[in-house]
Amino acid sequence: MNELCCEIGYKSIRHVGEQLCGDHVDVVEQEDGSAVIVLADGLGSGVKASILSTLTGKIVSTMLAAGLSLEECVETIAATLPVCSVRNLAYSTFTILHIIQNRTAEIIQYDNPPVIVLRDQVNWEYPRQEMTIGGKLVYRSVIRLQENDVLIAMSDGCPHAGIGFSNSFGWKQEEITSFMEAMNYCGYSAKLLSSLLVDECDKLYGGRPGDDATACVVRMRRRVPMNILFGPPRNRDDVKRMMSLFFAKEGKHIVCGGTTSALAAKWLKKPLKTSLEFVGDMPPIARLEGVDLVTEGVFTVNRVVEYAKDFIGDNARYDEWSRQKDAASLISQLLFEEATDISFYVGRAINPAHQNPDLPITFSIKMNLVQNLSDALQKMGKRVKVSYF
Amino acid sequence: MKITVCIGSSCHIKGSRLVVEQLQYLIAENKLGDEIELGGTFCMGKCQQGVCVMVDDQLFSVSPETVREFFEKNVKPKFA
Repeated sequence: MNELCCEIGYKSIRHVGEQLCGDHVDVVEQEDGSAVIVLADGLGSGVKASILSTLTGKIVSTMLAAGLSLEECVETIAATLPVCSVRNLAYSTFTILHIIQNRTAEIIQYDNPPVIVLRDQVNWEYPRQEMTIGGKLVYRSVIRLQENDVLIAMSDGCPHAGIGFSNSFGWKQEEITSFMEAMNYCGYSAKLLSSLLVDECDKLYGGRPGDDATACVVRMRRRVPMNILFGPPRNRDDVKRMMSLFFAKEGKHIVCGGTTSALAAKWLKKPLKTSLEFVGDMPPIARLEGVDLVTEGVFTVNRVVEYAKDFIGDNARYDEWSRQKDAASLISQLLFEEATDISFYVGRAINPAHQNPDLPITFSIKMNLVQNLSDALQKMGKRVKVSYF
Repeated sequence: MKITVCIGSSCHIKGSRLVVEQLQYLIAENKLGDEIELGGTFCMGKCQQGVCVMVDDQLFSVSPETVREFFEKNVKPKFA
């Protein structure tokens, strides 16, 4: 396994009054770990722009991922895009980030603001090659990737942010670069970096964007495996198998559930020390030598699922889980920000104590939690593996 | 003396947090901090009787409303 992996995050805001965004980001991941990311910006805003950019994004990402040449992609786009009746023009600008096996990046840019590359925390002026394809001037760069490289692609709504409002000349490229240098220094995730950039644009527009604005961030990072044990196995005889598989895995280990942590403690032959510090409304965590985090089960995981759904959606609760020290927040920090590869070890035992009709815990709820959490983590671009016992 | 309060899922819903906080208060109020070790544990497997509280080896069922009564009856006399 290659030690590096790419973390992809993007966010868009819409032109004020529009329901559709005229920018489109398309990500196609290939089996060998390569990824094609296309950020397309359709002419104008609203429905027309949305159609243009979606078509462009889909065509380019699908064709490139299938191994066709750039020339063919551009020709196909030129031949396919519907012509705007007002401007008599079919037009969508695009930026392509082709991450090849997490080692090399091919950057192809057509009329979007230049892609910013941050290497060792500072802006890097990477080499660019000029090409003319089908009468269009296209810039192509091929760079060798390193750990902590950050690639930032955006639509022109970002440098135009605040024109005629807060910034009479918009937000200059150099200013965006230094803003992102400062943000990147904090070690934020790709998703958060893209949100920070777009939110800043929204602020400069005074909350009423004069154009669609999109930022797409790719961050190269080292793989971080993470393992979660949740629930005792259905068959008691499987405890040994489950524990030995779980503890044999590389990376951090999280144990969720009361009975589960007792089993883990027995397996490790170490005492389980439960703390009585209640943080927020979550049950306290426990300490067990050999395990990085021990928490209660269903309530904590349920909260983690809520945070995960919010993170891939509005990202409104980031301030809650990214700073707090309660069990659910700690799990969220480990899973959403630190981990890249997550293995779930889920036990399907039915807890007799939970079969009380007064309690809002059922077996199906528990299984749904795992399903929802792994779906959400996959949407964050993580590799997720779930094993049932 | 060791008092252990269950903070597992089921007892959590039944208010183990309130039980813990009240016990902490009562222990301080009676100046028994040096005598009593208050601890937590995950599920004791007696969820029907929650909130489960162990006083040394004896199991009690306590609710947030009955903490004081439990304390006066089962804990305090042992230090009288």
